[in-house]
Amino acid sequence: MRQATGVDRKVSGAGSGGLMRAKSRWARRGMTAVVAGLLAFGASAAEAQIPAPRQARPIALTGGTIHTVTQGTIENGTIVFENGRITAIGRNVEIPPGAERVDITGKHVYPGLIDGYSALGLFEIGGFTQTIDLNELGPINPNVRAEVAFNPESRHIGVARSNGVLVTLSSPEGGLISGLAAAMMLDGWTWEEMALKRAAGLIVLWPNPSNERRYESDLRTLREAFAAAKAYRKAQQAAERGGRRHDTDSRWEAMIPVIEGKVPVIVQANELRQIQDAITWAEEEGVRLVIRGGRDAWYVADHLREKQIPVLITNVLDSPDRQWEPYDGRYGLARRLHEAGVRFAIAGASSAAYENRLPYEAGAAAAYGLPAAEALKAVTLYPAQILGLDDRVGSLEPGKDATLLITTGDPLEYSTIIEQAYIQGRKLDMMDQHKEFFEKYMEKIRQARPRT
Amino acid sequence: MRFRSSLALSLLALLPGPAWAQTAPVEGLRDNTPQVHALTGARIVVAPGNVIENGTLVIRDGVIEAVGARVTPPADARIWDLSGRTLFAGFIDVYSDVGMPKPSAEREDSARGPIAWNPQIRAHVDAAAELSADDARVQALRAQGFTVAMAVPRVGMFRGRTAVVGLGDGPVRDRVVRSGVAHAVTLQRDNSFGFGYPTSAMGAVAFIRQTLHDADWHMRAWAAYNRNPAGLRRPEMNAALAALAPALRGEQPIVFEARTDEEVLRILAIAREFSITPWIRASGYEYRLVDALSGLRAPLIVPVAYPDVPNVERPEAALNVSLADLRHWYRAPENPGRLAAAGLTFALTADGLDDRSKFLPNVRLAVRRGLSPDAALAALTTIPARYLGLERTHGTLEAGKVANIVVADGNPFTDSVAIRDVWIDGRRYEVTPAPAVDPRGQWNVVASGDRRIEGRLTLEGTPERLSGSFSSTGGEVRLGSARLWNETRRLQVSFPASAVGGEGVVRLSFTVSGDALYGWGEMPDGTRLTWKGTRTRTAASEPAGGAERRNGTGDVASTTTTANLTLPEIRPAMEYGRPSAPEQPEYVLVRNATIWTMGPDGIIQGGDLLVRRGKIERIGRNLEAPRGAVVIDAAGKHVTPGLIDPHLHSGVSGAVNEMGSAIVPEVRIGDVLTMDNIWMYRQLAGGLTTAHIMHGSANPIGGQNQVVKMRWGALPEEMRFEGAPRTVKFALGENVKRRTGRYPDTRMGTEQIIRDHFKAALDYRQAWQEWERGDKRGIPPRRDLRMDALVDILEGRIQIMSHSYRQDEILMLIRLAEEFGAKVRAFHHTVEGYKVASEIARHGAAAVVWSDWGGFKIEAYDNTTFNARVLHEAGVLTSLHSDDSQIASRMNWEAAKMLRTGLSEEQALALVTINPAKILGIADRVGSLEPGKDADFVIWSGSPLSTYAKAEQTWVDGRKYFDLEEDRRLREEIDRERAKLIQLALERRGGRGGER
Repeated sequence: MRQATGVDRKVSGAGSGGLMRAKSRWARRGMTAVVAGLLAFGASAAEAQIPAPRQARPIALTGGTIHTVTQGTIENGTIVFENGRITAIGRNVEIPPGAERVDITGKHVYPGLIDGYSALGLFEIGGFTQTIDLNELGPINPNVRAEVAFNPESRHIGVARSNGVLVTLSSPEGGLISGLAAAMMLDGWTWEEMALKRAAGLIVLWPNPSNERRYESDLRTLREAFAAAKAYRKAQQAAERGGRRHDTDSRWEAMIPVIEGKVPVIVQANELRQIQDAITWAEEEGVRLVIRGGRDAWYVADHLREKQIPVLITNVLDSPDRQWEPYDGRYGLARRLHEAGVRFAIAGASSAAYENRLPYEAGAAAAYGLPAAEALKAVTLYPAQILGLDDRVGSLEPGKDATLLITTGDPLEYSTIIEQAYIQGRKLDMMDQHKEFFEKYMEKIRQARPRT
Repeated sequence: MRFRSSLALSLLALLPGPAWAQTAPVEGLRDNTPQVHALTGARIVVAPGNVIENGTLVIRDGVIEAVGARVTPPADARIWDLSGRTLFAGFIDVYSDVGMPKPSAEREDSARGPIAWNPQIRAHVDAAAELSADDARVQALRAQGFTVAMAVPRVGMFRGRTAVVGLGDGPVRDRVVRSGVAHAVTLQRDNSFGFGYPTSAMGAVAFIRQTLHDADWHMRAWAAYNRNPAGLRRPEMNAALAALAPALRGEQPIVFEARTDEEVLRILAIAREFSITPWIRASGYEYRLVDALSGLRAPLIVPVAYPDVPNVERPEAALNVSLADLRHWYRAPENPGRLAAAGLTFALTADGLDDRSKFLPNVRLAVRRGLSPDAALAALTTIPARYLGLERTHGTLEAGKVANIVVADGNPFTDSVAIRDVWIDGRRYEVTPAPAVDPRGQWNVVASGDRRIEGRLTLEGTPERLSGSFSSTGGEVRLGSARLWNETRRLQVSFPASAVGGEGVVRLSFTVSGDALYGWGEMPDGTRLTWKGTRTRTAASEPAGGAERRNGTGDVASTTTTANLTLPEIRPAMEYGRPSAPEQPEYVLVRNATIWTMGPDGIIQGGDLLVRRGKIERIGRNLEAPRGAVVIDAAGKHVTPGLIDPHLHSGVSGAVNEMGSAIVPEVRIGDVLTMDNIWMYRQLAGGLTTAHIMHGSANPIGGQNQVVKMRWGALPEEMRFEGAPRTVKFALGENVKRRTGRYPDTRMGTEQIIRDHFKAALDYRQAWQEWERGDKRGIPPRRDLRMDALVDILEGRIQIMSHSYRQDEILMLIRLAEEFGAKVRAFHHTVEGYKVASEIARHGAAAVVWSDWGGFKIEAYDNTTFNARVLHEAGVLTSLHSDDSQIASRMNWEAAKMLRTGLSEEQALALVTINPAKILGIADRVGSLEPGKDADFVIWSGSPLSTYAKAEQTWVDGRKYFDLEEDRRLREEIDRERAKLIQLALERRGGRGGER
């Protein structure tokens, strides 16, 4: 009974939500002016979190410092984008007629940050399973696709954008083969609009080696899944050539692009044995491997380098699992891999609610020895390259998407404000749930103050 | 072999005759076998250091009648020629489970008898009454030389009273030496009683305290009632509390069982509080504490159970073995020797060994690692006899003492020799029967009959384990089997018939008579022959009883590597532990830094900080360095006060929640701080110098918290922040109603249970005030530690620190506190604090919040990074907290996150320095860099609020506890030490890296 009323309330709340929100937004507009002094982001507050329309006319950002990542840094430069794509970058760039000119003198332009390991859109509230769509039943789920469960209304999206994160690899979890991750752009009305690249990687959670017998048997299951998928592909190919027809198997069907090397396998592996064994396995299977996690990767850096296996480093802001290891073992992992010539990117720690922390993860690596320019690449260019998104995002180059940030400085620095972001040329609403609460309750304080 | 010998042992043990029966009527015939024995020709160790090389010991009716070199055996004595043997006083185990029912085997009926409210309190149990005569553990102990043991009940926490029992066979009434010797108490809850109070280590300490107070009250209440019962309400009759009375009066010791070295310290603290002299069953880790234990008078009972050799065969597996574990594995056998060297007396116990046959081998290992053989003997004889009050009857081989004797082939503390017999109360129990005959050697064997065969039989090995060969016309063959039966003196051998030119197996059976064999056998074809053998040569004899060594009882010869490895003494005894507290220089001058004073002086560019003996002396520019000052050039660096985390849970032994009851302010984190906490080092590496270690959030009113300084390497009690105000954890919302079956289930109930307990505390205070004002002739009020704490909370002596999420519950607690005239010092987490910021400000509470935590449960969904900012704008004293061991190691970055919310740099850093200091009431000591305050500071590579900065040095009390350079050196030392210990472990595990 109690449950039923709860459901009712929720439904009616959702129905009237639009009205309520419109009202409060109106109210806020007046308030925003009052708080403007306190706020660095006042301007766009009125259009709270409404997805931006398609870029209608060319935009030229002028006078800023443009950090292209691949082509150096251009001071007092101009960047032009049209129909969502960057068309020109430089000091003396011709601005197309009819372009909207935005003077950003004193500001900085960076490519949007990319998180190669995220639960965004699939996770809302911990401990509240109805809001979590990460783990499908059973060990073998290569056919589940993250993008179709991505909730565009998640509160965490806006908060992440406010810290510069514009693309996430939203990834299923659980089992051995968890499913297909999707690279999602953090703006849009529907997941369809937001998907930058579907099936960007097949997530495999490498088994735990601590129990050797169990480890062996889990690996047998994993190998068997790939063998079955290969057998399935062979049978389907034979059928296409006029052979006997075979019924569909959704799981193995989904793995065909993986077997063909079109989709990388992203293997969650932290322990030394896991990393080594995954490399050998991937080579035997002939699949493209990305190691995710990589806690012990530096112990086998030569192996990784020789096989050219990239590592998506996660949990930089963590401490070593072994008492005897240096306190900065995790902070320093990226530096070690960089020095060893291993390809890497820095990803988050797979949280949706903490997606905003991505720049801090890269920053910690920089504090502990990774050159600052590398730290920036580790959350822009490198994840784009590793995930095959670098034709669209990861750096500022003509032809790439205008998915970028306007900031007061280095986006990895704590004091920097991300003032504005664009995704494919669309100007984002920089309001987010945190700021909304801030504005609303600053109003409460003002009302409570004695009038003078 | 092992199995066989123990079987033989039980068969051969002499059955106690009815002669011992003192009250039982004799059925049938009486047994009056004389009980007079003379043990002659032996080396007699009368007492440690007192040896008779060739003496005689006379036993009459269970008691030693005479002992000496010139003692003549009485005419009526049975003579035992023990030449070649050594006699010791029978060993005494002061801590044993022998004869005790297995824990949780029996659960008493909660409706039966006047028992305590909590099943963990079983002080009324009497070991002698529970003791079972039918227990194979007796034989296992005898096999190690034990003759007497103190049986300790093992169920519950107040386990009952111990009893000293002889380890002979026979009815319990004949074996009990003393009953009601000591109360047994442990700091570990007994899980067999379910998940009731106490569920945590700190709860266990509080529970012991309360129970001792209750026993005291029970005693006084009954005394009052018995004096004049008229008009008085009868106190409860509680058998367990009544049983504790003699212990409280100091008439009966309490033996506490410690599982860690830190528990030893906790036991000593309890003992001081209640003025009792404890006995302590030690943990085996005490070698790490010898400095803290020096001068200890409490009887110690030390186990010789050592950890298994760490699993290091595979390099990947070895990666996961900590230095702490490697070190303890290596050093555990040093424990007895280190205690003895520190001048502590102790008894040794076999308790803690899963396999009791490892006792003597492990004692020998302790002897090889520094314990003198005499000290080992004393720890098994004279010292335990003294502890048990048996020094007039036990512990030495002097005339008049009980005839409890160990007969060994030599000194079992130095050599792997057989224990032959033990004598208990003048009765002999065979342990390792000496072979009655020795058939080893070469024999000429002749078969009579129509197929006369001659051959040569060679028998080698030991009498217990024979091997050999047979040679005849068909050549020489190895014996298929060879076995001697001791009591029958029968020898059986078999060998392939090829030796006599046939097929199949020849089986022979003899009786051994001196140098002659008489026997018969069967040939493969069924022919039966009579045999006779004559010994032609005696084997070069291997000492009998060497079986133990070959059976691999874990006795390992020391290796050269072992001998050479000395590990530095460090505290804590783990990675990054220190040999001593860092030096506190007379003067330290930090120069040319950007100094964030966090005080009225703001940020000083190019500033100098002068420290004297742990306190800040001056801050300014161009300060002169006093003579001998440690001068640090910090040009380009930033200096801040040491960071403070007002909400952390690391460094606590056991659970941080006492779940057993909803209201538990009597439990104290400060009772269970642990030094074995690697996080403290990591937190120092991130600039943290002070933390408020908090109880968890499972209870509307939780336990008391503890402010600590990060004095890495100190004892737990030395980490406490001296004089910091006492605080208690409250909790609201989801966590407190999560426990099923425990009130409250709602936020409504949470308000009510807090309110009801506040009222109870007022009633309690009233009752005491009336008692104090009155004539004190009735039943005295009971001292209730929970109520004491609640009164302290209401009177402001303990400050409320309340976990909270939603605005409704925050407001509720404010109003509730105000109703009782109390104050909430701070709301912690307080994710929706920004929604009631003005209300919090008006109440005068502070807020302790996260930077950007949220979304991890429904009540955390309305989080905003701007929480601290809004609270600050409303005038609430606000700080950040970690609530997480890792985050506590980088609180500067947590503060830095607040820059994006519009706070200034100083406002942001204040959230992790001066503000938490004010909230915790320690701002007079820490939180800012001002003259007179503690020299707790951090030198950073750049601005502490920058992504790119890290802590380079962290100072506490003017001592440098962390330094990047030192850290690098320690890493190398750790690697070296690990490598050495791993190599040693590999040797121990069987040599060349193979697995066992």
